[in-house]
Amino acid sequence: MQLIDGSKIITEACVRAGADVYVGYPITPSNWFYAYAQKRFPLFLAGPDEISVLQWMSGFSAAGRLPVTATSFPGLALMVETLNMAHMMELPMAIIVTQRLGPSTGSATTGAQGDLLLLRGAISGGCPMPVFCPSNFEDCWNLAYESIQVAIRYRTPVVLLTSKEMVMTHKSFDVSALPEIKKVERETAKVELPYQSYRSGADGVPPFVPLGDETYQVRLNASTHGNLGLIQKGSAEAMANTRRLKDKLEKNIQSFTFYELDEEAGADELIVSYGISSDAARDAVTEIRRQGKKVSLLVIKTLLPVPPAILDILERYKKQVFVEENLPGLLRELIYGQARRKNIRSVNKIGSMIAPSEILNEFAV
Amino acid sequence: MTPPILSRKDMPFCPGCGHGIAVKNLAKALEEAGYDPLDAIIVSDIGCAGLVDSIFATHTIHGLHGRAPALALGVSLGLIDPDKKVIAIQGDGGATIGLQHLLEAARRNVDMTLIVLNNLLYGMTGGQMSGLSTQAFKAGHLIEDDTPPFDVVQLMHEAGAAFSCRITAPGEFKAHFIEALATSGFSLIEVACLCPSHGVKKLKELADVAMGDLKLAYERAPARAEYRETAPLFGLEKPVATANRSTIKERLGLVIAGSAGGGVQSAARLIANAGILSGLHVTMKGEYPITVGAGFSAAEVILSRKPIHYTGLESPDVVVAVTEDGMAKARSRKKEHTTLVLDSKLREEAFPNAIYGDFQKEGGKQGAALYAAAFWLVREGVLEIEALLEAARKHKHSEALVELIEKAGTVNSER
Repeated sequence: MQLIDGSKIITEACVRAGADVYVGYPITPSNWFYAYAQKRFPLFLAGPDEISVLQWMSGFSAAGRLPVTATSFPGLALMVETLNMAHMMELPMAIIVTQRLGPSTGSATTGAQGDLLLLRGAISGGCPMPVFCPSNFEDCWNLAYESIQVAIRYRTPVVLLTSKEMVMTHKSFDVSALPEIKKVERETAKVELPYQSYRSGADGVPPFVPLGDETYQVRLNASTHGNLGLIQKGSAEAMANTRRLKDKLEKNIQSFTFYELDEEAGADELIVSYGISSDAARDAVTEIRRQGKKVSLLVIKTLLPVPPAILDILERYKKQVFVEENLPGLLRELIYGQARRKNIRSVNKIGSMIAPSEILNEFAV
Repeated sequence: MTPPILSRKDMPFCPGCGHGIAVKNLAKALEEAGYDPLDAIIVSDIGCAGLVDSIFATHTIHGLHGRAPALALGVSLGLIDPDKKVIAIQGDGGATIGLQHLLEAARRNVDMTLIVLNNLLYGMTGGQMSGLSTQAFKAGHLIEDDTPPFDVVQLMHEAGAAFSCRITAPGEFKAHFIEALATSGFSLIEVACLCPSHGVKKLKELADVAMGDLKLAYERAPARAEYRETAPLFGLEKPVATANRSTIKERLGLVIAGSAGGGVQSAARLIANAGILSGLHVTMKGEYPITVGAGFSAAEVILSRKPIHYTGLESPDVVVAVTEDGMAKARSRKKEHTTLVLDSKLREEAFPNAIYGDFQKEGGKQGAALYAAAFWLVREGVLEIEALLEAARKHKHSEALVELIEKAGTVNSER
């Protein structure tokens, strides 16, 4: 066993997976990523602000590198326009978001789960963007790898959504139980001639060729564009290209659907959680069962786009309790909107992690 | 003879627009300097200047308003073949909203050329003034704003650009482009442009309202991206087996509280490591205000026989406080069953059952927290002194820590 933290595990996993550039702007509680990245990434750059950070990363990505950054809400807010650009240009990159208490600057050293719906709505037009959320150190390792893998495979920015308590708490942990990570190789794309930067195959993902290529002319574009990568307004080709941004992720989502389902036979009640609240939910489930009540647990690790497999599980349970560290219940809202539903309950809290006892209260007779 | 840089002869701009003249000069310069189209990457901004993509046979990337220089910086430092030429093109509006990006690229002297096509206004949105609109131009437009413009050529030079130049003369000016392209490092060319729709419509009037020609050079090494080999932060080896040396039954939650600079965080980390060496599962987390050098500093440690999921500590078994700042934390964290271990100077009647010791006196300002915690943990048999010493020996200040722990242990043996 060794004393280790989530920031260290995620940083190491990203580099092993093939990330080679870290561009950072310091912000609490993401600073440990910055510190570890300085030691570990092949190239480290300090940006002057978060807009620059994501623009530089987009340039690196377009040139064929795999850039990573870490930030929290105030930085993420500045990044939103460029996140749209990277999404539209189809540039692979990973953005680690360490949630902290808002609104606004809030409390920099207090954790939270308050940014899910910002990410859901970040892309204008509502296009999805993969968002993974680790619930423990194993997830930190595996989902950091998946972030890089999915970013490259589907040519998209990916968000790894963490929280202060996930990345700044030390725990004794046996790293030898983690699977080896193989570098995600970026094969030179096999393309049909003439090459068009946004012409895709059956999987909806255009083959990636970096800027500066010797053979193919690469044209990338943040405005509505046709297959060639040049601005097109309102053409059928351009609209198809825009629709493809949504379709390419939704039709491939099975390959990046991650969750943990602990089902108890005969249970009609399901606790649903994610991220930093998951461990309290695990402890609560153990206690509820010890008291002789039946309950199942779902920990969601692919938050966006919402995987159909998650919806299938939810449909099997009449009663559900969503556990998350924010006021309105953002995951619950993502799934069910604001409609009133008698059998969907929430355990919410801000200012500190939800404790197992607070979940148990919801189950007290 | 290399293939032509432009793929079309017709320009996407309004008839008479100055951007067309500038773009043709750039293309000629690239051809004369021997560039193949795929040797160049045009990074374009938003606005009229951003319409250039479609006429270039080079690589093109069309980004956001004002961000082309930042995007180009990333492309330049990310290039697999650094000999490729990165050229960003933006207007005066783009240069205004993203001025930080220009300054940063110049400061780092990133190998790229930035062309600012300055038609003195925002053309696409109706002719509004930009940060590069001159006083003379604004006066002619009944704008009640005589704020002087940014001189981007001067600014880039001051920031560290290898080459910066402004062109207001009409006609062929490709020689300046050739000079900029040949520069190793950051080069800027600002070109004063006509805007037949909203701005200056005649070349002879341009010289009256634009800032004058200027050329500045600054010899310095360009930024280079060095992709280094690095060592893993940790390996995936099997951990060394540890003996079970603790007397705790199930779980113990400890809060250590003191003041910033009092060694609270490193004490907690040392105790957590000693816990691992004793065969326990542990968690450790810090709590401090955002000003890490002032105010309180507190840390939570959980030692447990079983794996720990939830890392919160609702009801600590013991709270160690060694300063007034820490005392405030102790008050807020104390539950009915909590044992308090306090420095004797903190004696107060609210806690009749607290355990007191001269921790500040014996451990010193930076050692009091570890001294107090080690004293109590060893006394209660939670951790053996040997486990604490073993953890301390791995620390960079091992000598002082070992001495402190031995001293804390001696107090116990004397009791």
